[in-house]
Amino acid sequence: MSLAYITPSERFKKYLPKDYVELIDFGPFGKTQEEAGPGNMGQFKELMEEHPMCSGCWMAYYIRLIFAALPCPEETVTIGTAGCGRLAISQAAVPFIYGNYGDQNAMASGLTRAFRLRFPDKTKDVLTIAGDGGTMDIGFSMTMHSWIRGERFTTIMLDNEVYGNTGGQSSGMSPKGAVLKMAPMGKDFEKMPATDLAKAAGCVYIVRMSPTNIKQAAKVIRRAIFVAREVGPTFIHAYTSCNIEYSIPTEDVFADAIELGKGRFKFDEYMTDEAKIVIERVEGEEKVARKARKAAKVAAAEAVN
Amino acid sequence: MYYVAKVNSDMCAEYKCNTCTLYCPEANTLMFNKDGNTSWVDEDRCKGCALCVYVCTDMLDRNCITMEMAGHEE
Repeated sequence: MSLAYITPSERFKKYLPKDYVELIDFGPFGKTQEEAGPGNMGQFKELMEEHPMCSGCWMAYYIRLIFAALPCPEETVTIGTAGCGRLAISQAAVPFIYGNYGDQNAMASGLTRAFRLRFPDKTKDVLTIAGDGGTMDIGFSMTMHSWIRGERFTTIMLDNEVYGNTGGQSSGMSPKGAVLKMAPMGKDFEKMPATDLAKAAGCVYIVRMSPTNIKQAAKVIRRAIFVAREVGPTFIHAYTSCNIEYSIPTEDVFADAIELGKGRFKFDEYMTDEAKIVIERVEGEEKVARKARKAAKVAAAEAVN
Repeated sequence: MYYVAKVNSDMCAEYKCNTCTLYCPEANTLMFNKDGNTSWVDEDRCKGCALCVYVCTDMLDRNCITMEMAGHEE
């Protein structure tokens, strides 16, 4: 996909579905983060549409945030696998590929390589967004090998610490002692150290977080994508609670996320020196562009007066 | 019969704030009207989780959002 591919000709617009035309006119395609970004969600038409996730699902909120934070949505492809997350990810106006259970990182490896051969003049972003089961349990081997090979794409793990979609079986990421189906006496084993495994496997940018601070969460997603474009594999481990299986009342979901953000999901950012250079360069360029746009805006306002 | 969020637009317009729209798990549901400087809820899409009530009442102490019966007119 590209911006030219998405945008219809003016005369053809009246024959197209209203939703699609609205998405082009008021959506984030081809716009900057100040115009249509996480800071003003609710003021533009979002990429994600209605989804069948449960009421008060924190994962749905985080997926909404991921799509709002994408640096270039028209050049992005998302890959997912079975689980709750794909129910919402597949409803977004970004091409989505659905893998067999757990093979999302293997597919992304091939796709990024193919993109670099087919479109050498463009930057195409590939994101794999999967749950804790797809990334760390069943897809573990393919996830680890994609990191060890140094494939350049972003992996986002939506960690709800349970197999929510199939009725609440314990997963490798469930904390020790959690009472769940398949673990009625409390889970016997420790939670898998996902970020440590990523570090050992050679990820160049790793973050563990509970996404309660929207600015910080968006910055992390963008950094992970920018680093993956040039340096190597990046990994975000985000806490997205399952309010059904962990019996969290919907109005307390936010409070729970804040509490875990102080506990086992304490913000932890790791980057290599190479990744740091890329981040500093890209964010510096963004800052200059933002200042230039602001100055142009002020100049235009003065010209009107 | 179910509850949906409802924004008191007069109270909401007093603050320069769009925090609740950032934390709604539903896309294109809790929207912000820039001209009226107020948030508003698309009642047909709201799933009634009350996360916005937590943001407005517990976090910001502004009490602009309440849960009300869907389609109920006073």
